[in-house]
Amino acid sequence: MQGGSSGIGYGLKYQARCISDVKADTDYTSFLTGTLSLKEENEVHLLRLSSGGSELICEGLFSHPNEIWDLASCPFDQRIFSTVFSTGESYGAAIWQIPELYGQLNSPQLERVASLDAHVGKINCVLWWPSGRCDKLISMDEQNIFLWSLDCSNKSAEVLSKDSAGMLHSLSGGAWDPHDVNAVAATGESSVQFWDLRTMKKVNSIERAHVRGVDYNPKREHILITAEDESGIHVWDLRKAKAPVQELPGHTHWTWAVKCNPEYDGLILSAGTDSAVNLWYASASSTNNKAPESPVESTRERVNLLLNSYTDYEDSVYGLAWSSREPWVFASLSYDGRVVIESVKPFLPRL
Amino acid sequence: MATEAAPMDEKAKRMRDLLSSFYTPDPSISTPTSSISTSFDNINGPSFDADQYMDLMIKKSNLDVLLQRHVQMAAEIKNLDTDLQMLVYENYNKFISATDTIKRMKSNIFGMEGNMDQLLHKIMSVQSRSDGVNTSLFEKREHIEKLHRTRNLLRKVQFIYDLPARLQKCIKSEAYGDAVRFYTGAMPILKVYGDTSFKDCRRASEEAIETIIKNLQTKLFSDSESIQARAEAAVLLKQLDVPVDSLKDKLLEKLEQSLDGLQINPDEASKLAEHNVSSKDEESNNQGPAKIHEDAVRGFSEAMRAYREIFPDSEERLFKLARALTTTHFENMELYIRKRVSAADFLGIFREYSAFPPADVLLLSNSLRIIWEDVVLMDEVLPEAALSDLSAEAAQVTLKQFVARTFSHLQQDISDTLLKFDINQKEVVDGEVLKVVLEASGKAEFRQLLDENTGIFVKMNDLLIGWIQKGFQDFFSEKIHAGLILVLAQLSVVIEQKVIPRIAEEITASFSGGNSQAFIPGELCRVFHAASEKLLQHYIDTRTQKISNVLRKRFKTPNWVKHKEPREVHMYVDMLLQQLEEVGKEVKQILPQGTFRKHKRSDSNGSNTTTSSRSTTLHSDKMARSNSQRARSQLFETHLAKLFKQKVEIFTKVEFTQESVVTTTVKLCLKSLQEYVRLQTFNRSGFQQIQLDIQFLKAPLKETVEDEAAIDFLLDEVIVAASERCLDATPLEPPILDKLIQAKLAKSKEHNNNNKTTVSS
Repeated sequence: MQGGSSGIGYGLKYQARCISDVKADTDYTSFLTGTLSLKEENEVHLLRLSSGGSELICEGLFSHPNEIWDLASCPFDQRIFSTVFSTGESYGAAIWQIPELYGQLNSPQLERVASLDAHVGKINCVLWWPSGRCDKLISMDEQNIFLWSLDCSNKSAEVLSKDSAGMLHSLSGGAWDPHDVNAVAATGESSVQFWDLRTMKKVNSIERAHVRGVDYNPKREHILITAEDESGIHVWDLRKAKAPVQELPGHTHWTWAVKCNPEYDGLILSAGTDSAVNLWYASASSTNNKAPESPVESTRERVNLLLNSYTDYEDSVYGLAWSSREPWVFASLSYDGRVVIESVKPFLPRL
Repeated sequence: MATEAAPMDEKAKRMRDLLSSFYTPDPSISTPTSSISTSFDNINGPSFDADQYMDLMIKKSNLDVLLQRHVQMAAEIKNLDTDLQMLVYENYNKFISATDTIKRMKSNIFGMEGNMDQLLHKIMSVQSRSDGVNTSLFEKREHIEKLHRTRNLLRKVQFIYDLPARLQKCIKSEAYGDAVRFYTGAMPILKVYGDTSFKDCRRASEEAIETIIKNLQTKLFSDSESIQARAEAAVLLKQLDVPVDSLKDKLLEKLEQSLDGLQINPDEASKLAEHNVSSKDEESNNQGPAKIHEDAVRGFSEAMRAYREIFPDSEERLFKLARALTTTHFENMELYIRKRVSAADFLGIFREYSAFPPADVLLLSNSLRIIWEDVVLMDEVLPEAALSDLSAEAAQVTLKQFVARTFSHLQQDISDTLLKFDINQKEVVDGEVLKVVLEASGKAEFRQLLDENTGIFVKMNDLLIGWIQKGFQDFFSEKIHAGLILVLAQLSVVIEQKVIPRIAEEITASFSGGNSQAFIPGELCRVFHAASEKLLQHYIDTRTQKISNVLRKRFKTPNWVKHKEPREVHMYVDMLLQQLEEVGKEVKQILPQGTFRKHKRSDSNGSNTTTSSRSTTLHSDKMARSNSQRARSQLFETHLAKLFKQKVEIFTKVEFTQESVVTTTVKLCLKSLQEYVRLQTFNRSGFQQIQLDIQFLKAPLKETVEDEAAIDFLLDEVIVAASERCLDATPLEPPILDKLIQAKLAKSKEHNNNNKTTVSS
C-alpha cells in the first residue's frame, strides 16, 4: 500500500483522529492512539517501534467505552494517559491507567484513574504540562477552562480553578507553555487566548480567526505556532503579538495541526486535510530578516522553507506527533485509521 | 710522430719560459707553480738539483737513452747561447740610437733666449701707445653720450604730449589693444609727474581711456560680437584695472535672467506633447515650439561656453546655474504632475487612455526627453558639472513621485468606486470598473511608461518596475476587494507576458552594448509570475474563506443530534450557490477562457462519465445495503469503493482560466463541507437533511464546473462522511428526495421571476 514511501504503516480497525507520543517511555519509541467510531467498540492501541526501526508492533490493545476525540499521554508516567470521548450526544474526559502485566491478560481492561466530570458542553482537549512532573491538568470545553489537581495514588482529581471564556468564543483546543507552567494558550472562534493559571484570568490574545492547531516552540521561549483553516501557518513572538513573525503557506486545503520538533529548533510539521504532511524549516535567522530587500529573494526563501511533503495518505491527516525519544521520527494518523511513522532525516538541511 | 712532436713543444715552451724569466724583474713570482709541480725533472725550476736529476736519470734509463739525452741537451744549450747573443745585440743597438737623439736636442736649444727678449720689448711699446689714444678721445665721447640721453627724454615727453591724440586715433580705428598698450606704457610717468606740466595731457588721455573702457564694456556685453573679440575686451579691461569681477557678476545675472525665459513652461510642454499626439501630419507646425526651445537651449550652452572662455575662474558659478536650470525644470514638472494628476478624474482619464495613448504619460516622457537633450547639450560644455548624474537623480525622483501619485490615485479611485458599488449593489458597474481599470492600467499606462527608452529610462527601468511592484504589494496588504486581487493577478500576467518582452526587445534594439545588463527580463518575468500566482491563490483563499464562514455558521449552530425531519433544502445552499455565482461573474469578466474547454467537455462525455456513473451506482448500491445490514461493514465498504474508484485528483494546480479558478473554488468548498460534517454527530433526520442538500447541489455545481468527476466524488464523500457520523444512517426515500428538490426548484424559480418583475417594473 505504501508504495515507494519509506514510512512504516500500521492500520487501525476504525477511523481515528488522535495520536500521542508516550514521552515517559525512555526504553522504546512508542505511541498511543485511539479510534473514533460511533457504533463500534473503540480501542486504544499502544504501538512500539521495533529496535531496528523497521517495524511497528502493537504492544497493547485496550477497549475504550466511547469514541475518542482527544488522547494525551502523561509525560511522567508511561502507563497513564487521558482521553476525551463522546457518546454521540454527550462528552466526557477521563484519566486512564494501563494495567500492569497487561501482556498476560486476555482482554486487559483500562483502569479509570479519574473522571474529569465538571464539564457540561463539548469537551475539546485535556492538556498535560509537557516538560516534566506536574500534578496539574487542564481541560477545556467550548466555553470553560478547568485546572485540575490530579492525585494518582488516591485516584482522584479535583477542580482547582476554572474560568469561562464567554459564550461567543467557543474554544476549540489549546497548548500548555513548556517554558512557563502558568501559561496556557487556547484557540477560539476568532482569537488565540492566553491564560495565567495563578489568577485564572485571561492575560492576552492574538486576534486571528479559525485557528485549528497551536503549539509552543519547546526550544525557544515566547514563540508560538498556529495552524489556520485557509491562511496557512503563522509563527508568533508573544512579546509582540500584533503581527506574525513568519508565515508559511500551509496546505492546499485546511491546515489542521502543527507540531514543533522537541529537539531541533525551527523544524515544524504540519498536517492538513489535503491528505498531506508537510515538513518545514523556519529557522531563527530567516525570521530575523523578515523584510527581505527584494521580492525575488523572498520568493526564493519561501521555496526553501518546505523541506518535504509526505503525500502518501488516502484521507485527511488529523493526528501528528513527534517522538521525543528519537526526535527525527514522527507519527501521523489519517482519518481512515492509518498510522504512518516516518523519519525526517533524509530531508534535514545541513545545520 | 707523436713522440717527436712532444719534445718539440716542450722545447719551445722552455724557450719562452727562459725569455720571460729574463725580462721579468722577479722570476720567483712569475713561476712559482711550475717549480712546485715539477720539482725534479724541471730543469728550469729554481729548485732544480742537478745531481739528483743526474742520479735519477742514471738509475732510470739505459745507456742509449742517456746518450740521446746528452745529445739533445747539448743542442739545447747551443740554441740558448745564440738566443742570448741575439738579445744582447738588439739592446745595444737601441742604446746607441737613444744617445744620438739626446745629442741632437742639445744643439737645437741654443739661441732661443735672444728672440724672447725682443718680443717683450715690442709688446711694451704697443701698450703705451694705446693709452695715449684713449686719453685724447675721452672728452668727446662723454659729450656724445649726454646728448643721446637728452634726446631719449625728449622723445618720451613728446610721446606723452601726443598720447591723447594717439588714443583718439586708436578709438577711431578701434585699435583698443594698441591704445591700452600706449596708456599702460605712459602710466608710470603720468602718475609721477601728472600734477606738474603734464596735467592737461593726463586729463585728456584719461578721458580718452574712459571712452575706451566704455567702448570695451559695450563690446563685452554685446552678444553680436564674436567670442574672441569679447574675450579680448575682457582681457583689456582687466589690464586697465577695471573691476572685472563685478562685470562678470553682472553678466552672469543677465544669463540667469535669460534662464527664466528658457524654462519649460508646462503648458507649453503640454501643447508640445499634444502637438505630437494629435497632428502627426503637421510636421512643420509640430516642430515649431520644440525648435524654439532647442534653439534657446543651444544659445544658452553657447553663452556658457563663451563665458567659460572669457572668465576661466567662473566655472563654479556656471555649474550652479546649470544645476539650477535642471532642478527648476524638474520642479516645474513635478508641479505639473501634481496639478495634472490631482485635477483629473482618474476614471475618466483611464477611459481616455484606452481610447488613445495617454497624454499624461506621453507628456511626462516628452518633457523628460527634452530635459535630457538639454542636459546633454550642457554636459558637452561643462563635463565637470556632472549634470547627467544630477538630472538622472532628479528624474528618478520625479518618476517615483509620478508612479506613487498615479498609484495613490488609482487606489483611491478604485476604492471610491468600490464604495459606490457597495451602496448600489450593482454588479454591472463593478464589472465595468474592473474591466476599465484592467485595460487602462494594463494596456496603456505601464506600457507607455515602460516603453520609453531614452537614456534615463534605461537606467531606471528596473527601479520603475520595483516601484510598481511595491504598489501592488500595498494593494495586496489592504485587501480591498477580492475582485481587485483578481485584477492585479491578471495584470501581473499581462506584464509578465507582454510588457517585459517588449521592453527587452526595445532595449536590445537600441542598446546592443553593455547597458542592458541592468535589465534582466527573465528575472523580472519570474518575479511577476510568482506575484501573479500568489495573487490568484490569495483570491481563491479570500473567496473560500467567505464560503467557509457560511458553512461554519450552518454547522455550528444547530444541535444535529436533535435535528428535526427535513422539510426543505436548507437556506445555506442558496447562499453557497450565490457566492459561487459571484466568483463566476468576477472571473468571467477578468480572466480569459480556457482554450481547451470544448475539448475537455467532449472528453468528459466519453470516459469521465463512466467513472462518475459507476461511483454513483456504487454509492446507491451501498446506501441500499446499509439499510439492511449493520454499519459494521460500512467502513470496510467505503474503503473498498475507494480502492475501485480511480483516485480523483482533488487539488490540482490553478491556472489562469475562468474554469480552473471556479473549479478550484468549488472543490475547496466541498472539501470544507466534508470536514465540517466530520466534526459533527447526526441523528437520522440530520443525516437526511445533509443528503437532501447535497442532492440539490449536484445539478447546479455540475453546470458551473469543468471537472464533473471530481465534483461527484466530493459530493459523495460528504454524504459518506455524514453517514459515518450518523447514529442511524437511513437515507431518504428517492421519491421524497425528488419531491423536496422539485419544490425547492419551483420556489427559487418563482423567487427569480418575482425579482425580475420587480426589476422590470
